[in-house]
Amino acid sequence: MWKTPTILVGIVLLLLALGIVMLASASSVKGVDAHNDPSYFLKRQMAWLAVALVAGLVTASVDYHKWREYWIPLAVMAAALLVLVLIPHIGYRIGGSRRWLKIGVVSFQPSELAKFAVVIMLSAWTTRVGRRASTFLDGILKPGVMLVVMVGLIFLEPDFGTTLLVAGVGGALLFVAGSPLPYLLGGGTVGLIGFAVAILYDDVRRGRVLAFLMPEKYPAAAYQLHQSMEAFTLGGFWGVGLGESLQKQYFLPEAHTDFILAIIGEELGLVVTCMVIALFAGFLICGLVISLQAPDLFGRLLGTGFTLMTTIQAVINVGVVTGCMPTKGLPLPFISYGGSSLLMSMIAVGVLVNIARQRVVEEDQPKQAVRDKCQWI
Amino acid sequence: MTEKHGSARYFVLAIMLSLAMTGLAVRLVFLHLGAGEQSRSMSSKTRTYKETLAVPRGRILDGGPSANILAANVGAKDVWADPSVLIASNKVGVVASQVAAVLGLNPTETATLMNQERRRFVYLARYVPDEQADAVARLKLPGIHLSDTTTRSYPQGEMLCHILGFVNHDGVGSWGIEQCMDKYLKGTPGLLESQLDGRRREMLDRRIQEIQPRDGADVVLTIDQNLQYMLEKSIDAAMEKHRAKAASAIIQRVRTGEILAMVNRPGFNPNDFRSATDEQKLNRAIGYVYEPGSTFKVAVIAAALNEGIVTPTTMFNTENGRWLYQKKVLRDYHPYSQLNVADIIKKSSNIGAAKIAIMLGDERLDRYLRGFNIGSRLGIDLPGEEGGILAPASKWSSISSSRIAIGQGVAVTPLQMLGIMCGIANDGIMMRPYVIKEVVSPNGTVLVRHEPQALGRCIRSDTAAVMREILAHVTEPGGTGTKAAVEGFKVAGKTGTAQKPVKGHYSETDYMASFVGFMPADDPEFGMIVVMDEPQPLHTGGIVSAPVFGEVAEQAARYLGLLPPGPAIEDRSAIASQARVTP
Repeated sequence: MWKTPTILVGIVLLLLALGIVMLASASSVKGVDAHNDPSYFLKRQMAWLAVALVAGLVTASVDYHKWREYWIPLAVMAAALLVLVLIPHIGYRIGGSRRWLKIGVVSFQPSELAKFAVVIMLSAWTTRVGRRASTFLDGILKPGVMLVVMVGLIFLEPDFGTTLLVAGVGGALLFVAGSPLPYLLGGGTVGLIGFAVAILYDDVRRGRVLAFLMPEKYPAAAYQLHQSMEAFTLGGFWGVGLGESLQKQYFLPEAHTDFILAIIGEELGLVVTCMVIALFAGFLICGLVISLQAPDLFGRLLGTGFTLMTTIQAVINVGVVTGCMPTKGLPLPFISYGGSSLLMSMIAVGVLVNIARQRVVEEDQPKQAVRDKCQWI
Repeated sequence: MTEKHGSARYFVLAIMLSLAMTGLAVRLVFLHLGAGEQSRSMSSKTRTYKETLAVPRGRILDGGPSANILAANVGAKDVWADPSVLIASNKVGVVASQVAAVLGLNPTETATLMNQERRRFVYLARYVPDEQADAVARLKLPGIHLSDTTTRSYPQGEMLCHILGFVNHDGVGSWGIEQCMDKYLKGTPGLLESQLDGRRREMLDRRIQEIQPRDGADVVLTIDQNLQYMLEKSIDAAMEKHRAKAASAIIQRVRTGEILAMVNRPGFNPNDFRSATDEQKLNRAIGYVYEPGSTFKVAVIAAALNEGIVTPTTMFNTENGRWLYQKKVLRDYHPYSQLNVADIIKKSSNIGAAKIAIMLGDERLDRYLRGFNIGSRLGIDLPGEEGGILAPASKWSSISSSRIAIGQGVAVTPLQMLGIMCGIANDGIMMRPYVIKEVVSPNGTVLVRHEPQALGRCIRSDTAAVMREILAHVTEPGGTGTKAAVEGFKVAGKTGTAQKPVKGHYSETDYMASFVGFMPADDPEFGMIVVMDEPQPLHTGGIVSAPVFGEVAEQAARYLGLLPPGPAIEDRSAIASQARVTP
């Protein structure tokens, strides 16, 4: 009866477990080096995980229709935080980008909230306009403007990876909502051209793209990518063994964040990296099944949005780590080190579980009864 | 929008994402399993490192009571350049001229060294003394580096250069003790093979192999630095006084064969071995053969006495200094009509010695000379020893024995000549000469200890006693070696003045002047040989070499605590030990 969400939760728990184990291994070297504590990053991630699990349980028990009521304040808050992070002395700079807000000892990425807000915003809007979603004004222009504002703010940080992700998920949501295809494709093309031009005028990103295209000419920039691919090679089929990674010994920067899959590949081999891909594929299938069985359009769009947000991010991350795409700076959901990313991912899982609980399985079962049941679980 | 239409779009999305994921999975399979062998081996090469842990070379110490250091290590610097940095900064010319000026190098050659584009390491100068290295460091030139090293230092300079030898710039002992004891002196360098992390630091838990270094062991010589100093001083003075071309001298302890001092001239400074010529490096005392001349009569007469065919008082007709034998004329320096055997030695009569040798016969003479180790190496523990030249008796001509009797047609090293004397002094037992007393590891373990080793008996002990008495007359008034006498002691010895063979004839102007002897004559403690090559214009052993013997023997006797023989002194050993306690 609860089969699909059970599998989904099982998949998420497996990914979380693998993430914690691999973080313990991958972050130990940097932890000792930067903080004289091999489990420095592990402890922080465990704390965030506890928070994220609670948040997931809470959202799983909150009726997802509530989100629809607060879509405007949520979108405004996300946009406001994105503006705030751009202001010097408030936004916290790491590696040339203002992506972080510091609240006490906790740092938070507003773009993570923005990812969440965009999904709710577009779902709520599309549900409101109903059949008019297939018109130019309500199906493309208005939601398009909202999306562009949000994406533009993320772009300014700059955070091109998240920009691409949010724009892609937003476009996909409009696509499934029934937006007219010619306009959607046209808008997408214009957006991509603008993005490409922006990359040309940004030294760091241009370097990354050039290094990706011509690694021989930009050995310094291609170093990280080279080390990442080397890690998979070193791992082979079964891996070199848990904790035995050589690449984490300063060969691979970001070993515990964006490039953690490379360490998984080195230590545990092809078996486990393919398992990770399979788990995300399972997540995609479960998420889409849940969405299609949602009791209403809002639930369907909301579920699809969160499913896509997680899986597309995973695809981009794996693509980067395996050298199929230029370096982006997106973490691998559930696995990479990073508190706000984990928190928002778990909230998204919670929402999906809630949608699953309200799904329509049999015609004779009254909708309201299921809803009531969910209210207090 | 229909439900069906919406679902179709979901499937399109799902299929696109599934394709992407399948693509990634395939990519992973390729990365994990494909074409990785080459890059794997390459990365393992750049990520491991091998380091040789240098160990200090052992010292060379003298055998004296204070164990003076004869060879040690001192800190120095190697100056090297990183050509890639220099070329990139476009300053090769400027840097080269500055460095060359400080180090005294050729600026053009230095610039050539620095212009090797593909290299990241090239030595500009090695073993640079600290003052010069500091001057280079003060220039603060990018791409020029200094690294610590040690260099071999011989604090006594030229002293003992032929015995100590030197260490070449690759750290390999290349002459003398440094060469033959290299395996002990160099120690065992340690080896560290390990893996590096991304910041090129060693990962301690991934160490591949580690061999602990073992410092080089010290070599202790039998040489006594003080005796060596005395001998070198006297030789230098005599060289200058008599304008000699070269010289050799050895002091050997009679009972054991230990070499207490060994001097050769010309010499070289081992701290600057590169500028030494082969002539300077030659250890003449063991590696240069010469015709010994009259000193060789000792061997012949000892043999005749041992055979009992003559006694010290047997009279010989010395033909008034001119004797025709086998159509060849043999002359004496001072003509005498008749001399007994003892006086033949004392006056150094060629005719007398020749007649004794003829009486002895070729076979017996040859046997005795080989008993004195003529014609073969004594086996001293130094590289470069020669064995001398003595043709087998079967190949001798009718006059050979008469010429060998006076040290012609036979060639020996100074060490061999001294060996004959020491054999007689040591009651007829030949001892193997040696310069290495022991090898001591840094923790005090004795790795090698040389004990005195007898080579064989050359003559009977009673013959040896008679010979010592005869040889003591040489330094008494009327003998040829009076200048070797030491006040209060009985000194035994023999002079030698040999014409040097030049192009098949004997030179009338070039001589080898030698004196070989031992003291005290009754209870010999040490033997000494002094050989001067081409002294001018005075050239006899009695005038050129005997005084050196006398001068050094007098000091050595005091230094070694020898007491003059005398009826007043009852218990010599008691006094001797007292004398050593209160110097």
